[in-house]
Amino acid sequence: MNKLTAAKQKIVNQQVEIKNKINSIELEAHWFRRVFHTFASCFLVYYLLPDDPWITTLKILIAVGIVVFVIILEYLRIKEIICNSNFFGLRRYEEKRPASYVYFGLALLILLVFFPQQIAIPCILCACFSDPIMGEIRHRFGKKEAYIGGFLICMFFFLITWNTVNVSILILISILGASAAVIGEAKKFWLIDDDFMIQILPAVIIFSVWQILLFGGIDILPAELIPPF
Amino acid sequence: MKKETEYIKKEENHEKLLRAELLFAPLLIICPVLVSVFLINDWYIRGFSTGISTYDGELLLAAIILSGNILFDIPFIKSLKTHHKK
Repeated sequence: MNKLTAAKQKIVNQQVEIKNKINSIELEAHWFRRVFHTFASCFLVYYLLPDDPWITTLKILIAVGIVVFVIILEYLRIKEIICNSNFFGLRRYEEKRPASYVYFGLALLILLVFFPQQIAIPCILCACFSDPIMGEIRHRFGKKEAYIGGFLICMFFFLITWNTVNVSILILISILGASAAVIGEAKKFWLIDDDFMIQILPAVIIFSVWQILLFGGIDILPAELIPPF
Repeated sequence: MKKETEYIKKEENHEKLLRAELLFAPLLIICPVLVSVFLINDWYIRGFSTGISTYDGELLLAAIILSGNILFDIPFIKSLKTHHKK
């Protein structure tokens, strides 16, 4: 009888140990994804590089090269040439579709290459910091609080980037940009990831407003936040 | 039932994955700090020491990058330490 109880206890202990191990992997994957987001803010170093034609070409080529490499890697993973289990922190819904880092990289590339930095920088900051902060608020307090918190943080990023323009334009751009970023994050599509939408949606909206006003003879674009060398 | 937002977990492979994660960790932590230092240095040399306020944005950006990264690096390092103690 004692042997049976001891064996049962041993099994229970083993189960607890496995559960703890899995929970700690889950926790690590959680923070790993969060840190990957904040790490992406490093790519803003792009704007610190000189604007000479050959350096511009080189930095665009490097950025495109990184994204192409990631897309090829992802293609091999989806086609199961490289096993899913070789990638740390993937979610189940990413098993059969491109993972969020591909969308993140693609959106980042589009912003760096095609948008002026005054529009690109706040959008990139939204994806790097608002997204994980919103995730954490959602995790601890709930959806509504996450959207309010996210909106305020995104608004802060637009406010600091556009602080040199006139107040009405500043408020308009900040509200538009922050709303678009929160909508981009909140609205879930199966194929297009929120990491793409949170960057591209506010950028497209602000770019459109800028172009429309420019057509009417008003240039609202502020001075560059990072003047190139 | 498995939730879609759950992580893909493979018990037999996780040690290998954690090694890969450990290799990534210094890059994830050090790079943002370097970029912040680079931005602060540029602000100091081209802006602060010459009295030009055009570069103040760089200082602000450096502060955001640095504080945002530290905010998430601490729990990340804690989770790494907790796991590797087991």
